[in-house]
Amino acid sequence: MPKAGARIVRVTKVVLDVLKPHQPTILELSRLIGELAGVKSVHTVLREVDADTETVVLTIEGPALDYNVLLDVIRGCSASVHSVDEVSVEKLDEGVH
Amino acid sequence: MALWDGVRGRIGRFKRYVRITEADEVARRYFVMNAFDGSLTILGIVLGTSLLRVREPRVVIGAGVGASLAMGMSGFFGTYLTERAERTRELKKLERAMVTQLDETVWDEASSFVSIWAAFVDGASPALTAFIAVVPFIICHMGLIGFETALAASVVLVFATLVFLGAYLGHISQENIPINGMRMLLVGIFTALVIWLLSEKGVETAAALITSTA
Repeated sequence: MPKAGARIVRVTKVVLDVLKPHQPTILELSRLIGELAGVKSVHTVLREVDADTETVVLTIEGPALDYNVLLDVIRGCSASVHSVDEVSVEKLDEGVH
Repeated sequence: MALWDGVRGRIGRFKRYVRITEADEVARRYFVMNAFDGSLTILGIVLGTSLLRVREPRVVIGAGVGASLAMGMSGFFGTYLTERAERTRELKKLERAMVTQLDETVWDEASSFVSIWAAFVDGASPALTAFIAVVPFIICHMGLIGFETALAASVVLVFATLVFLGAYLGHISQENIPINGMRMLLVGIFTALVIWLLSEKGVETAAALITSTA
């Protein structure tokens, strides 16, 4: 319950630079993230392919993204976030919980 | 309904593990190789004991079930340890490439699962094919058929298993299925012939043939 005058912000977009093995595929990774609550769309671009790994850029959008849950799913797929390249947050109207 | 969802979820996870580690190819290879081993081993036991003029189904059942169990155990533990070593090596290679630990991730879970899955296939396939060939002797022991019928049925079952394995290989390689089946059958017939030749009766026949031609 926020205090009076407190501002509630929600993360609505993150762009992540992710290093992952070839398996699970970007299709599977995107689908798993897309199934999360608060996620509306996932856009994945393959940027680089190496012998055992690949680098992808994930653009995740939704009304209320939980960054820690996103990290858990990415980590669960044996991938790791190299950098957070972009973030969008929206402030809810004050008094609206 | 919740139980069904749980089972479905688990099956989906196993499928993902198999896809990630490409274990279907490994399991296929183990299945055919070891089922073939099991078939030929039991053919050797069945023909060997019969050529020694053993007419007691209990002897064949004992030897056959014992061999099935031994092949099953050897297949399971041998493959588990081998696959585990290979998968651990692969995981470590991936960890080096990722510059991170992959504990409790899908790759870690898939590696453990696949070692057990491959071990199960490797252990179950020879035990199953060997056991199939023992079934006629169990029926014989129950007094439903005679020993000679059980022997013939057992050899036919081994040959049928070999044809099935060959056909399966033909299906995998997308080649001619009957030809592949027959090819595998020929190996079985050749093995049976060699066992027969090495038996007392075979040696006698071969000696008689050599004498008559000399």
